[in-house]
Amino acid sequence: MSVTELKERHIAATETVNTLRDRLKQKRLLLLDTDVAGYARAQGKTPVTFGPTDLVCCRTLQGHTGKVYSLDWTPEKNRIVSASQDGRLIVWNALTSQKTHAIKLPCAWVMTCAFSPSGQSVACGGLDSVCSVFNLNSQTDKDGNLPVSRMLSGHKGYVSSCQYVPDEDTHLITASGDQTCVLWDITTGLRTSVFGGEFQSGHTSDVLSVSINGFNSRMFVSGSCDSTARLWDTRVASRAVGTFHGHEGDVNTVKFFPDGNRFGTGSDDGTCRLFDIRTGHQLQEYSQPNGENETRHVTSIAFSISGRLLFAGYTNGDCYVWDTLLAKMVLNLGSLQNSHDGRISCLGLSADGSALCTGSWDTNLKIWAFGGHRRVI
Amino acid sequence: MAGVVGGGGSVPSLPPPRPKSPPEYPDLYGKRRELAKVQRLEREIGFLEEEMKSIEGLQPASRSCKEVADFVMGNVDPLIPTTKKIRRSQRFWKWLCFWCSGVSCLDVSWICCCWSPSCCECTLCSCSNPCRRCRMPKCNCCSSSCWNSKCFSKSSTSTCSWINCCAPKCPSCLITCSSLRCKCYPNCPKVNTSTSSICSCFCNKSCCCSCYPCYFCY
Repeated sequence: MSVTELKERHIAATETVNTLRDRLKQKRLLLLDTDVAGYARAQGKTPVTFGPTDLVCCRTLQGHTGKVYSLDWTPEKNRIVSASQDGRLIVWNALTSQKTHAIKLPCAWVMTCAFSPSGQSVACGGLDSVCSVFNLNSQTDKDGNLPVSRMLSGHKGYVSSCQYVPDEDTHLITASGDQTCVLWDITTGLRTSVFGGEFQSGHTSDVLSVSINGFNSRMFVSGSCDSTARLWDTRVASRAVGTFHGHEGDVNTVKFFPDGNRFGTGSDDGTCRLFDIRTGHQLQEYSQPNGENETRHVTSIAFSISGRLLFAGYTNGDCYVWDTLLAKMVLNLGSLQNSHDGRISCLGLSADGSALCTGSWDTNLKIWAFGGHRRVI
Repeated sequence: MAGVVGGGGSVPSLPPPRPKSPPEYPDLYGKRRELAKVQRLEREIGFLEEEMKSIEGLQPASRSCKEVADFVMGNVDPLIPTTKKIRRSQRFWKWLCFWCSGVSCLDVSWICCCWSPSCCECTLCSCSNPCRRCRMPKCNCCSSSCWNSKCFSKSSTSTCSWINCCAPKCPSCLITCSSLRCKCYPNCPKVNTSTSSICSCFCNKSCCCSCYPCYFCY
């Protein structure tokens, strides 16, 4: 078959795909009889209300000299790892604000970092297209630097996101600018599975974020510059289990909802959305109209432990707290007195759900916790 | 190296190299790439057709919305202010405090402060010395008139209320906490101090109201 014939087949196939997608969208619309907010209102639910001192900044972690790009909490204890443009990973004790490790990276262009489930190791990735793993118990070299204990090489583009598989220090999933996600065996340093790519069904643009289902670690979701999120089963690398359309811009961040049956997304289109993994329905959109000449992208999201709150960091320095049930913005941490001075680039919740950590281009991390009066019955 | 001419005159010289046009290879890479794109789209068509069939049996969104609402409402969240229905016994305390605030005061208001399920309801008590025996943390008032005063143990509290109190102190905390977090219950254990901590209080869980790992008090 000639290249010309192939191009004709390509055009025809594209048209068919678009037609089918439209028909699917129409069918799906018929099933969207309500959204979460509509349902909650009908049930008489009222929004969460926060007093001025209910959610307050109780720690500022200072130490980075460049923009903070990524952070992750340990599942146990209260430690945080952060990655910055200054080319360092810092491991913090969130309770005391002390730094336990400052790791100088071989490649300063870091974009993401993650704590291993045991808290013994941290991983990071960036523009070097490599995911580097550091054992925090290793001896430092003569210059006082912690050596890389494993380099996971194989991506053909930058490593934008990484997350350890829950309860497994030996497996990690990365997302990359090469349009793929990879499940790695850290022990061997080899790729166990590649999800997507040129010859497989998957994302058609850079993958920016991954989130692994806490209830079923075989399932993970990825967000991409192709404006979609995709659900993957690690046992089936050849195709995504589901593709979630709706966003009108890059999907910068994805995070599983605490029940494991839904996930949230944040996008360059300024909205966050909640999708159901079993039905594929978009259950809710969380958005506020942009001001004039204001383009505000969502950079990072996290759910509170009950799922009632959705924290969303924006490029303009806002950090909205959304009531997920009423789809109402109930607090803007960015407007509080001691909030960040720059873009919120990353955020995450402690494992017990009692504290939120935000990282910003202002070089700081901040810890937010409930500081208000809790009524007891 | 092949083709290198030797120095002997008897050896016939090799013909000079003649540049050749590269063979007319088909554009394999481009073709393969194009083929891959088509195959990918055709697979996508298959998946979409499957999805089209499976969508028939899908539940409506309202079912999923109900699941979300049930999950959210069924879980406690340490970041959310809890407001729950007042139980019957609480209504009594509320009534007692209200009565206390309206009538010439009997010195019973300490009850509502000390034993009321919610110390916030102390604001309803306007009797003199309302929390005399209350073992809730002492407060410094935000208003300049009673700055640094322990308003809840003052004899006149007309200008001080819980709402105006911004900085409770744990009983043995030497330095004033900077937030409302350090709310100590009766029998609060010893509280240490540290200048390095934001709150300047080292409380433990039993000291702080609903502290999970208490980021203010550790």
